[in-house]
Amino acid sequence: MGASKGQKLSGLQKQVLSLYRGFLRAARSKPCEDRCQIESIVSAEFRRNSKQVDRKNFFYIEYLLRRGKKQLDQLKSPDTMGLSSLNVSSSQKQNAKT
Amino acid sequence: MASTTGASLKFTSLSSSFKQTQVPLRGVSNVNSVSFPSLRMRPGSLRFRVSCAAKPETVNKVCEIVRKQLALPDDSPVTGESKFSTLGADSLDTVEIVMGLEEEFGISVEEESAQSISTVQDAADLIEKLMDKNCA
Repeated sequence: MGASKGQKLSGLQKQVLSLYRGFLRAARSKPCEDRCQIESIVSAEFRRNSKQVDRKNFFYIEYLLRRGKKQLDQLKSPDTMGLSSLNVSSSQKQNAKT
Repeated sequence: MASTTGASLKFTSLSSSFKQTQVPLRGVSNVNSVSFPSLRMRPGSLRFRVSCAAKPETVNKVCEIVRKQLALPDDSPVTGESKFSTLGADSLDTVEIVMGLEEEFGISVEEESAQSISTVQDAADLIEKLMDKNCA
C-alpha cells in the first residue's frame, strides 16, 4: 500500500479500503470490549496482507476480498458477537470453522 | 428536428451559476468562456477556498485526532498543511483517521469524499461543510 496522496488508487485498492471501512463501521455496532478486539484483529489482518500479498496477485486479492465480504456480512448480523468467528478466520486455519 | 435544441440548452444552464463568481477571480479575460465546465475542479481554486474556510478549533481538533491515530508524540508538528502521507500514514491509516473523525464530530463521510482527503486542512474543511449541512 503506497502513500494515499497524489497517486491514484486502483479499483482493487478502493475495494479493499471500502471493505476495511465496512469492517470498522460494523465494529461500531458491537459492545465496546468486542469492538476493540474486532478492530485490532481486522487492522492486523489487513496490514499483514498488505505487506505479504504481492500487489500484482490479482486473483488472490480478489479471493481475499470475496472472503472478507462474506465475513463482513456475518459480522453485521446482530447475533454475531464478532470475536470467535473473526478470530478463527483471521488466523490462517480457514478450515477450522464451517 | 426538435430534439437538437434541447441538448445545448441544458448544458449552459447547468454551469452558469458557478461561473459568475469563479471567472473574475481567476482573471480570465475571455468572459465568453461561460460554457467551460471544468473550471470548478481546478486545484488552484480549491486551495483558495480552503485557506479561509475551516475554523482553527476544528483544525486543532483534527490535528489531535490524527496524532492520536498515528501514535505520534505530542510535540510532533502537525498543522493544517500536513499531508497524511508525510506524517507516515498509509491508505489504511487514512481510512482509520476518517472513521475516527466521523465519530468525533458525529458526521458521516461518503466514500468518494473520504478518498479525496489528503491533508489535515482537507479534513477540517470537509467536516465543517458536513456539520453545516447537519445544522441546516
